Amino acid sequence: MSSKVKLSKEADQKAEQIIAFHGYSSLEELVENLINNEYEKIKSGDNKEELANKLSGLGYIS
Amino acid sequence: MKRRDFIKAGGALAATAPFMNFGAGRPLGKKMLVLGFDGMDPGIVSRLMGQGQLPNMQRLGDRGVFTMMRSTVPPQSPVAWGSFISGADPGVFGIFDFLHRDPQTYIPIFAQSTTLPSRMLVKLGQYQLPLKPGKVVLNREGRAFWDYMEERDIPATLVKLPTNYPPSASGQRTLSGMGTPDILGTYGIYSLFTSDENESQSDLSPNNVYYAYIDENNVMEGQIEGPKNDLVKEGENIVVPFKVYVDNRHRTARIDIQGKEVLIAEKEYSDWVEIEFTLIPHLASITGMVKFYLMEMGEKFRLYVSPTHVSPRNPAVPISTPSGYSRELADHIGLYHTISLPADTKALSQGTFSMENFITQSLSVFGESCRMFDYELQRFSRQKEGLLFFYFSALDQGQHMFWALNDKEHPYYHPEESRKFGYITDEMYRKFDRVLGKALGSLDPAVPVLVMSDHGFAPFRRAVNVNNWLIQEGYLKIAGGDASAGASILDYADWPATRAYALGLNGFYLNQKGREREGAVEAGERRRLLEELKAKLEAIVDPKNGEKVISCAYISEDNFSRNCIQRAPDIVLGFNRGYRISDDSALGTLSREIISDNMGWWSGDHCVDPRKVPASFISSFKILKAVPDIQDVAPTILKYFGIATPAQMTGKALI
Repeated sequence: MSSKVKLSKEADQKAEQIIAFHGYSSLEELVENLINNEYEKIKSGDNKEELANKLSGLGYIS
Repeated sequence: MKRRDFIKAGGALAATAPFMNFGAGRPLGKKMLVLGFDGMDPGIVSRLMGQGQLPNMQRLGDRGVFTMMRSTVPPQSPVAWGSFISGADPGVFGIFDFLHRDPQTYIPIFAQSTTLPSRMLVKLGQYQLPLKPGKVVLNREGRAFWDYMEERDIPATLVKLPTNYPPSASGQRTLSGMGTPDILGTYGIYSLFTSDENESQSDLSPNNVYYAYIDENNVMEGQIEGPKNDLVKEGENIVVPFKVYVDNRHRTARIDIQGKEVLIAEKEYSDWVEIEFTLIPHLASITGMVKFYLMEMGEKFRLYVSPTHVSPRNPAVPISTPSGYSRELADHIGLYHTISLPADTKALSQGTFSMENFITQSLSVFGESCRMFDYELQRFSRQKEGLLFFYFSALDQGQHMFWALNDKEHPYYHPEESRKFGYITDEMYRKFDRVLGKALGSLDPAVPVLVMSDHGFAPFRRAVNVNNWLIQEGYLKIAGGDASAGASILDYADWPATRAYALGLNGFYLNQKGREREGAVEAGERRRLLEELKAKLEAIVDPKNGEKVISCAYISEDNFSRNCIQRAPDIVLGFNRGYRISDDSALGTLSREIISDNMGWWSGDHCVDPRKVPASFISSFKILKAVPDIQDVAPTILKYFGIATPAQMTGKALI
C-alpha cells in the first residue's frame, strides 16, 4: 500500500488545527496515531473472540 | 399453590390498597433497606413458603406484600437492574441485551460498557507511555435514582450493584457488581494445574490448563498470567511465578508466591492472595488477587487458581464511589471478590469442577457476601437516615447450574447427581431467607424492607439457532450458499441479499438500508416486514415435542421509550419456557440444526419471554398495584424519601 495520501484543502486545514491543538510533531505522527487508534478499536472493542470470552466468563455461552 | 396458578392469580398475595399514600415532597420515613436477590423465582418462593421453609420471607410478606413483579423485555440482568437503577424502561437507559451490534460492521459489541484505548504514546527506551490513559465508559444513559437522593443530602449505599461498572460519578457509596472485569479485562479466566496428562491436553480455552510436573523433591512450579504490559513496545503478558511444595502424607501443600507462604489442605480454598504485576520495576505495577483451590492430591494432583480479581485495596480500575469505599470494606471484612459473577460456572461447564467443587465455591462466595452484608447492616443500623441496597449473585448463578438436578425432562438430567445434590436449590433459598431474618432482627420494625429479584428462572432444555432458521426461511443469505456448521454470518452473509439476522441473547435485527452498512430493507418496508417476521417467529414449533418455541416476538418500537431506541434490536425474542438462543446463534455462528438439546450444566436460564420468568417482590409495606414492574421500584424509593418521580422515569411509585 502506498504511504502517500492526498488530502483535500479542507481536511488539510483541519489536520493543521488538530496538530497544533494536540501538539503532534507532524502530519505523519497524527495519521499514524489515528490509524493505531482505529486499529486498537477493531482489536479491543470488536474482537469476536474477546466477546466470546466475555460471554463465556459470564457463563452464558460455554 | 402450583406455579401456574400462582402466576395466574397475579401473586394472589399482593395487596391492592396502600397503607401509606402521601404526596411526593413529604418523606414517609428516613430509612429503607432493599435486598437484591438476583434470580429469585416467585414460583419457587411460593412453593417453599407453602412448606413453611421460608419463615422470614413469609413474615415480611404477611406484613406487606409478596407478589411477582414484571421484569424487563428482555429479562436479562444488565437490562433489568438497569431498569431498577433508572426507574425506566430500557429505551430510556439504552441497554437492551448483553450484546448490541455495530450496524456499520455487523459485529457484536458489549452493551454495558465500552473500552477506549489509550492515546498518544510517548516512546521512552523499551517503554511506550500513554499521555492519555485508556478508559472504560459506562453505556447506561440517564441518571441513577441515588443521584436524586444525593441532591437532597440523603445518603445511599449500594453494594455489588449490576449495570454500574464503571461506577457512575456519585458522592454516594457504591460498589460495582455485574460488569466488573478481572485484571485481564475479561469476566474471569481461571487456571488449572493437573498431573493428569490427558486432562492437561484438553481445550479449556479461554481458560488455562497446564501439566503439573512434580519433581523428585515434591515441588511443582507454575505461573499466573497477568495483563499485557502495554508500556512495553512488544506488549508481552506479565507473569507471576509460584512454587507448590506438595506434602501428600499430610494432604497439604505450601505455595510460595512473591515472598508469601500460603498453606492449604486438600479440598480447601486459600484466603485471597494479593499479587503484583510489575509494569515498570519500582515505578508502576498492577495489584490483583487470586485464590488457590487444592482440589486433589495423591494419585492425581489438581490445583485450581481463580481468575485474578481486581484488588479492592488497590483497584487497578475504578470499582467504587468514592474510590476509597472498596478499600474501606476490605479494611473491615478482609479482601473480597470483585469480579462480575464470582462463582466459576465455566469451571463446572468445562468439567474442571465437579458439582461438589462448584457448590463449595458457591457457598464460599455466599459466605463472603454475607460478611460484607453484616458489616453494611451494622453500619446501616447505626445510621439515622438513608438507603441500603445490597445485591447477592449466588441464587442466580446457582440456578443456572443446578436446574437440571431437579428437572427430569431436562436432556442433561443425571439421576445420580440429582440424588446427591438435588437439595441445593431449596437450600440456597433457605440461606437467603436467613439473610433476611438477620436483617429483620437487626432493624427497627418501622424501617421498610423490600426483597426483590430482577427475574425468575426457567428450564433451558433446547437451544435455538435463529440464524439457521432465518436461512431456512430465506431471510438470511449466505454467500455461495455454503451455510455449514461453524461458519459465521459475520464472515459469510451475503448482506445485500439478507433481510434479517440475529445477534445477542434475545436480539433480532432487520438489515435496514441507511442504517446497516449493506442494508437491504427499505424504510418503507420496515413495519410490514417486522409484523411478518413476528408472526412467523411466534409460529415456530419444535419438531421434537410440538411446543411453541417463541411465545412472543416483541417489536421494539411498540415496547420501548424512544430516547435510545436506535441501540435496540428491532425485535426482542421472547422464548417459551424450556428454550433459549443457542451459544452459536448469540455470536452469529451457524449450527447443524435449528433446535438442539442443551447438553450442559448451564441448564436453567431467564433470557426468555419476561412473562415466563417474573421477578419476586416481597415488602414490609403494601403497594398500589397487584403486579408491580421493576421500573416502579426507583420511583417508590424516591417517593418514600419525599422526592417526586423525575421526568426521566417511566415507572410509577407503588406507595
